[in-house]
Amino acid sequence: MIGQILIDGITSGAMIGLGAIGLTLTCGLLRFANFAQGEFATWGAYFALLIAGALGGAAPLGPLTFGWPLLAALLISMGLTALLAWSLDAVLFRRLRRHGNAIVLVIASFGASLALRSAVEFLFGPEPYYYSRDIAMTLRLAPGMRATADQLVVLALALVLMLAMHLLLARTPLGRAMRAVSENPDLARLAGIDAARVVRATWLLGGALAAAAGVFLGVTVQVRPAMGFELLLPLFAAAILGGIGSVPGAMVGGLVIGIAEAAAVPLAGAQYRAAVAFVVMLAMLLVRPRGLFGGRAA
Amino acid sequence: MSLLEVRDLVAGYEPGLPIVRGVGFALDAGEILVLLGPNGAGKSTLARAVAGLVPVAEGTVMLGGGSLLAVPAHRRIGAGLGFVPQSGNVFAALTVAENLAIAAAVLPRAARAGRIAAALALFPDLAAARGRAAGLLSGGQRQMLAIARALIPAPRVMALDEPSAGLAPKLVGTVLAKLREIAAGGVAVLLVEQNVRAALAVADRAMVLVEGRVAHAGTAAALRDDPRVAALYLGGVRAA
Repeated sequence: MIGQILIDGITSGAMIGLGAIGLTLTCGLLRFANFAQGEFATWGAYFALLIAGALGGAAPLGPLTFGWPLLAALLISMGLTALLAWSLDAVLFRRLRRHGNAIVLVIASFGASLALRSAVEFLFGPEPYYYSRDIAMTLRLAPGMRATADQLVVLALALVLMLAMHLLLARTPLGRAMRAVSENPDLARLAGIDAARVVRATWLLGGALAAAAGVFLGVTVQVRPAMGFELLLPLFAAAILGGIGSVPGAMVGGLVIGIAEAAAVPLAGAQYRAAVAFVVMLAMLLVRPRGLFGGRAA
Repeated sequence: MSLLEVRDLVAGYEPGLPIVRGVGFALDAGEILVLLGPNGAGKSTLARAVAGLVPVAEGTVMLGGGSLLAVPAHRRIGAGLGFVPQSGNVFAALTVAENLAIAAAVLPRAARAGRIAAALALFPDLAAARGRAAGLLSGGQRQMLAIARALIPAPRVMALDEPSAGLAPKLVGTVLAKLREIAAGGVAVLLVEQNVRAALAVADRAMVLVEGRVAHAGTAAALRDDPRVAALYLGGVRAA
C-alpha cells in the first residue's frame, strides 16, 4: 500500500509543485497571493483540449492513451497560457501595483479567478472532457505498486520541467535577476536589473508551468471548469510549506502535499483528501511560517 | 563643469513633505565629498534621491552634463552612477560570485570577467569567499562586497550611505581607505557618514546638512578645525 501511495502521491504532487512554482514566484516577487493561479491551469487544460482537437486524431503512442497531438498541444498551450498570465498582469495587476496595496491586489486576483473560471464555463459548459476515451491500462512496477503509462509520462515530464526551472533560476542571468528582485527590489534596481522585465518573465513562466500542470491533470483525471479552483488550496499549501519565494521549496512542498493527500484516501477516506492540504498548510503556518526552505514568511 | 552637479534639490518620500529642501553641490572626478549632520538631517534621502530611489520634486541632478532625473534607477548604473545603500546592500541569499555576476551583467560580455577580477583584486577577502552566500559574510566582508558590486560597472560617480555603520573601528579605517583608493582611480565619491572623525580624514570636502538644508560647506580640513561646526552639528565632538 505504501508503494501505491508513493507513486500516486508523487504523480499528483509533481503537478501541484509545477503550479505552485508560479504562485511562489509571484508571491515572492510581487508580495501578493495570486488566487487566479489555479485558473491558469484550467485555461491551459482547455487550450490543450482545443489544440489537440484541431490537430486531429492520431494513434496513441505505445501504451499511452494519447498521441503526439496532445504533446504538441501541451507546448502551444503553455505558450498561450503564459500570454494569458502576462496579459492579466498588464491589464489588471500592473495598474493596481502602482497604488502599492497588497490587499487590493489579492481581492483583484480573486475577482480575476472568478472571471476566468466563469469564462471557461460559459465557453465550454460545465461537463467534464477527456483528452482520450481510451482505457489506461496499469503497469505493475513492483509488488503492490501499479501505475498507468500516462501517469509515468506525466511524472517524467513534470520532473523535467521542474529541473529546467531549477536550472534556469540557478544558472542563468534571468534566474539570478529573478532571485535578486525577489530578495531586494531596490537593490536589484541599483544593480541595473529591469524589475519590470523580470516581473514579465515571472508571469510568463508561472503561466506556462501552471498550464502544464493543468494538462497533466487533464491527462490523469479529467478537464473541467473547477479543476484549477480545486487545485488552488494544494498550490498554496505547497508554496507555504516550501517557503514563499522558494522554487525548490514549491517543488518539495508539492510532492509532500501530493503524498499526504494520497495517504489520506486509504487512511481517512477520499472525502478528507482535500482537507489534508489545509491541515498541512495550517500546521506549517503555526510551526514555521517561513516554510521548509526558509523563504519569506507567509 | 563638474562631473556631478546637484542644484536646488527638493526631495522626499511623500508629495508635499520634502526632507531635502533645496540642496546643491558639485563633485569632480577623483574627489570625495562627505555629507555630515545629525540624524534626520536628510543625508541618506539626498543620496537616495541622487540614486533615483526617492522622488525628486524640484531641482536638477546632472551627471557629465546630462540630466539624470528622467533616467530610472535601474539605468543610472549604466549612466555612470553607482550607489551603495546603508542596509540590505548585498543579495544575502545569493553567493558572492552571483552578487558580482549581477553587477557585471550591465557590462558588455567581453568586459565582465576583467571588471570582476579588478574588484576582487581591490578586495582580496572576497575571492576566497566566492562560493559562500553573501548573508553568511562578516559585516566587513559584506560591506566590501557591496562596494565591489557598485564598482564593477565602472561608475564615474559612486554614492555610499554610511559604509562604516555597524563595523568594528579597525574595519572602518580599512573601508574608508578603500574609498580613497577608488577616488584615486578617478571616481567621484559622495559619502554619507555619521562617523565624523574617520570621514573627514579621507574626504576632500564636506557638507553639513541640518533639517534638509546645507548649514556648512567647505574643505574637510576647514570643517575639521571649525569649533562651531563641531559643537553645533557634529555632536559637540571636535574631530581631531
